[in-house]
Amino acid sequence: MTPDDGEPAERSSADGLAERRGMNVEVYQPAEDSGLLAQAAVERSVSGTVLEVGTGSGWVAQQVDENTDARVVGSDLNPHACRQARERGVEVVRANLLAPFRDGALDAVLFNPPYLPTDPDNEWDDWMEHALSGGESGRELIDPFLDDVGRVLAPDGVVLLLVSSLTGYDAVVERAEANGFTVETAVQESYPFETLTVLALTE
Amino acid sequence: MKESLMDIICCPMDKHDLDLEIDEQDDTEVLEGTLVCTECGERYPIEDGIPNLLPPDMRD
Repeated sequence: MTPDDGEPAERSSADGLAERRGMNVEVYQPAEDSGLLAQAAVERSVSGTVLEVGTGSGWVAQQVDENTDARVVGSDLNPHACRQARERGVEVVRANLLAPFRDGALDAVLFNPPYLPTDPDNEWDDWMEHALSGGESGRELIDPFLDDVGRVLAPDGVVLLLVSSLTGYDAVVERAEANGFTVETAVQESYPFETLTVLALTE
Repeated sequence: MKESLMDIICCPMDKHDLDLEIDEQDDTEVLEGTLVCTECGERYPIEDGIPNLLPPDMRD
């Protein structure tokens, strides 16, 4: 997979992920989860100002920018991802989750989080780990994201969050509901090793 | 970054407004410059068109 392929690759197993790591070791490249998130955003016709958190290669942000009327901004912690997304034409901010975004400024927030549960003894400590690992629970970034995203969302805004069955679907839904969101399923697909769901959260 | 980004960004630490200091720009965007918090005074660099809005302890 190169950043210019334009199409999501198969995510069939952890081995597949490891294989892809070897091809582009610093920035997560689009896979099925990326395709589902872009599909959910385009089907919903997101508009206004849209932020993709953890934009990685920038592929999802680019798809949404090209296929909706929205103004799309991408953010990432990883400086290599920021550069790759910018080369793709995505307006980009280097940021930790939602920290530098204003209250009520965003009409939609998209997030394909790092979600693979990872044994702390096996963390590999590079940029690809940041892109894939959700810590021991798989939810180490999802939880703080859910606790803060209501702050940045405009009235009638929507959050589109990708969740894997590997991450604990119910725990994510419960956390979202505890933060006052109404949760519905936007898109769902099953694969041999996981079921991927894009949740639509509204206030 | 486009100047219109100022509408949606703030200081990542105290959420106050940022001032934009431009060192270099082209027709569409700011290429080099600094974002300065109007409250705490923290300075955030813009390099190669990318604003780095990480708190100081998370920067490289």
